[in-house]
Amino acid sequence: MTKTILFQSTISGILAAIAANIYDRIYYFATEIDYSNIINPVSLIGYNLMVSLIAGLLYWLLTSFFKKRGAIIFNFVYSVGSFACVIIPISITLPLTTPFPELFPGLAVPMVFFPVIAWMTIDPLFKKGIN
Amino acid sequence: MKKQPYLLATVALIVASAFTFIQSQDWKIANGYSVKFDAGDPTGEFTGLKGTIQFDEKNLAGSKFDVSLDATTINTGNGMKNTHAKGANWFDVEKYPTIVFTSSTISKTSSGFEAKGTLDLHGVKKEIVMPFTLVNNTFAGNMEVNRLDFNLDDGKHPNMPTAVKIALSVPVTK
Repeated sequence: MTKTILFQSTISGILAAIAANIYDRIYYFATEIDYSNIINPVSLIGYNLMVSLIAGLLYWLLTSFFKKRGAIIFNFVYSVGSFACVIIPISITLPLTTPFPELFPGLAVPMVFFPVIAWMTIDPLFKKGIN
Repeated sequence: MKKQPYLLATVALIVASAFTFIQSQDWKIANGYSVKFDAGDPTGEFTGLKGTIQFDEKNLAGSKFDVSLDATTINTGNGMKNTHAKGANWFDVEKYPTIVFTSSTISKTSSGFEAKGTLDLHGVKKEIVMPFTLVNNTFAGNMEVNRLDFNLDDGKHPNMPTAVKIALSVPVTK
C-alpha cells in the first residue's frame, strides 16, 4: 500500500466522518430521537476511517493486479458494495430500549454511502500521484 | 330453647357476613414493567400494559386479573419487523388493537401461583394457565403460548417456533 493511497484513504475517512456527524446532528434536530447508544461521534469516526482504509487496501490490491483497469474495477466494487450495505441498517435489531426503530434506517442508510462519496470526491486530486 | 336455632342462625349470618368485608388487595401497575416475548427470531416486548389486579394470597378466591396490552406497542427492535408484526398477516392491530387476559381462578402451586383464564388475542379467545410469583411487590412469570392457537402465522416462516416464550415482570404498588 503506497503512501498516497494511505493518505487518500485517511482523508476520505475523515471527510466521511465529518459529513456523517453533521448529518447525525441534522437528523437529531429534525426528529429529536436519540440514537447515540448506537451511533455517536466516536463510532462514526471509527466506522468511516475503517471502511475507507479497507477501501484503500482494496484499491491498492486491484491496481496492483489490474494496473489502470484496477481503478475502474475498484469504483464499481466500492459503489455496488456500498449499495449492498444498505441492508445492514435496515435489518439490524436494535436494543429494545431504543425508541422508534422504524426511523433508524433514515439515519443510517445515507451514512453508508458517505465513505464512497468522500473517496470519489477527492479521487481526482490523487490521480496524478498514483499514476 | 325453641329460639336457639334462630339465635344460632343469626350468629352464623353475622359471622358469614363478616367475610364479605374481606376483599382482595388492589394493586396498581407501576412503571418499569416488561412483557417480553421470544419466538427465536423475532424477540421483543410489548408496552402499554394496563388493567386491574386484585390479588391477596390469603384470599385467592377473591383475586382476579383483568389486564390488557396495547398490541400496537409491539417492539422487536427493528422497524421493518415491527411494521410486519402489526400488519394483517400477524397481529393485525387495526382489527385487534388489544390483547386481553382475564383470570377465572387463581390457585397456589408448589412454586408460587397460577392464574387460569382467557387470553383474547388476535380475535381468538382461549383458556390458558399463567404461572406467576409475587416477590417484593413484583409479579413475575414465564409461560409459553402456542401462536398457532391464535392464528398467528403467515405461512411464510416455517422455521419459526410455534411455542412463543413469554416473560413477565410487573412491579406493582398498593
